[in-house]
Amino acid sequence: MRFAPCGYYIESYIKCDNCGVLIYDDGLRALQPEFNEKLFCSEWCIAWFTEKAAGVEQPKIDLPFD
Amino acid sequence: MRSTKDMDLVTMNIIESTMLSTCREMGITLMKTSYSTIFNEALDFTCGIASPQGEMLAAAEFCPAQIGGMPLLIKSCLEEIPLSEIEPGDVIVHNDPYRGGLHTPEHTLFCPVYVCDELVAFTVAIGHVAEVGGMVPGGFPSEATEIFHEGIRVPPVKIKKRGADVPEVWKLWLANVRTPRYNYGDMRAMIAGVEQGAIRLAEIIEKYSLATFKQTCADLLDYSEARMRAEIDEIPDGRYDFVDYMDNDGVSDSEIRIEAHCYVDGERIVVDFTGSSPQVAGPINATLGVAWSATYNAILHLTDPSIPKNSGCFRPIKVIAPRGTVVNVDFPAPEVGGNTETHPRIAGAVIGALAQADPSRGMAAEGGTHLNFVFGGQDQKNNEYFACYDIEVVGWGARPFADGNNATDSINGNCRVIPVEVFETRYPWLTEEYSLRQDSGGIGQYRGGLGTSKTWRCLDAEITCTQLTDRHAHQAWGLEGGGPGAPGQTLYQHDDDAPWQTMVEAFNKRSTSKWSNVKITQGERIRLLTPGGGGWGDTGARDPAQITSDVADGFISKGSAIDDFGRQVGDKS
Repeated sequence: MRFAPCGYYIESYIKCDNCGVLIYDDGLRALQPEFNEKLFCSEWCIAWFTEKAAGVEQPKIDLPFD
Repeated sequence: MRSTKDMDLVTMNIIESTMLSTCREMGITLMKTSYSTIFNEALDFTCGIASPQGEMLAAAEFCPAQIGGMPLLIKSCLEEIPLSEIEPGDVIVHNDPYRGGLHTPEHTLFCPVYVCDELVAFTVAIGHVAEVGGMVPGGFPSEATEIFHEGIRVPPVKIKKRGADVPEVWKLWLANVRTPRYNYGDMRAMIAGVEQGAIRLAEIIEKYSLATFKQTCADLLDYSEARMRAEIDEIPDGRYDFVDYMDNDGVSDSEIRIEAHCYVDGERIVVDFTGSSPQVAGPINATLGVAWSATYNAILHLTDPSIPKNSGCFRPIKVIAPRGTVVNVDFPAPEVGGNTETHPRIAGAVIGALAQADPSRGMAAEGGTHLNFVFGGQDQKNNEYFACYDIEVVGWGARPFADGNNATDSINGNCRVIPVEVFETRYPWLTEEYSLRQDSGGIGQYRGGLGTSKTWRCLDAEITCTQLTDRHAHQAWGLEGGGPGAPGQTLYQHDDDAPWQTMVEAFNKRSTSKWSNVKITQGERIRLLTPGGGGWGDTGARDPAQITSDVADGFISKGSAIDDFGRQVGDKS
């Protein structure tokens, strides 16, 4: 949960655009401009998301997941 | 990851077993000191030990939903209360579904364990508190449309600070529930559990030294990871898909889609729920914690049960639960049924998908509901409000080697039914009938487990009843040609001469399975028919002796023996 930028208690829950996990820090963004609006929790999620978006049926990305 | 060749496996086994024993002792403490039947009879709680980083080190075998949810719960809590703000004697409470929690009634208690002034672990208790305020007594408002209908939400806060109660937190919490005396007792029981565990764990660490404990815990996580990787490696690589449905969300008639895609790649699995329904208006949405927990639960069911249950097991598993869907709900939608009804459907979809990869590990679908019959009212004798969360049991799915279990709590519960004698002593109901449901198991070479039938008659002036269940329409599926289990039903009878009716017929409710705040008065009856499990394999391959035995036991009727299995057993009836 995050406080609103104004400091008021306005609940906001930021989630990874790939796996849905809560992001408490700044998160990560993909280098590709078309995904610039997306926020991710890990490099793994960026890699999975971009490969799926490119049409890769079963991306093969090494552990760890986070 | 350290190689197992470099680990002291003997010491690891001793410390792991001792931690597990400690978790069981915490649970027994909780059970014996609690006030509510959901704790001391149904055992709807679990107890565990976690590292300061939030990794689960050990957990007793109580409630699987809570075991799988523990890693995310602890990490989310530590994001809001950093380690630097935690002190000896603190106990933290937390139930917020939107902060890593499972659902509103599930309260998590953490107690830090210190050795030589160093925080070395947390003891953890997660328990389903029977009354949490909100729009219905008993915590399952099946017609809720926002989280605020579901009861009091407690973000991570200290309920004890440096060994002393924080009275403001107690007052705030107890002022928002209908049964403060019972809630007080249950909260004390959970605190007693984690504090007892902290004492025991400190004794273990002092016996083996802090350095040995730390190394052993690191090794233990790596060991479980290695064991789980080896298990996953046995599953053929590939993508496996499965879809199951839930009946409705209680406030609309639309069915809800749960879609699982399992990508097995060597020693790892990615489970992607993309394609599942968008989150719905009613309270069957699952939180991310539930999606994680259900996925872990399914994979633990399909792999070697001797792997120590800790966060290491989960390292080779990645869950993708798109936000804003029924498997990862966004604030402020309701979600209380996600942990009880949607969890089994998520776990079942993962099992159904991976059963395609290796049918020998598969299991047909189980009844997939806890029935969640909750009620409350004013006790006429003691002039005190009572509330109860009643769990009922279902038939489990048949397996490639055996029939499904009869009358067993759904896959994420492992809970017990409140004994009839205790139920009648504590609450104003008379149990007129309680039996296995004949012919409710799916047919097949191996038969699905049987659901149950239970009939209560109301003895009090008025009881306010609510239910949040499922599988009244979508039956438990069979595998390899096995048939589906019988659907569940909830029925109402006004008096001895009146017909049995669904809640839609009797009270004009939207759903037969999800209805809230129905007033049941003296002499009226409720009947709960729980779903049966799916069957496995073709009926023609069933051992004739088992068919005869099933008829003799009353598990199937003579008519089913002839019509479903083609075998005459005595006279047809």
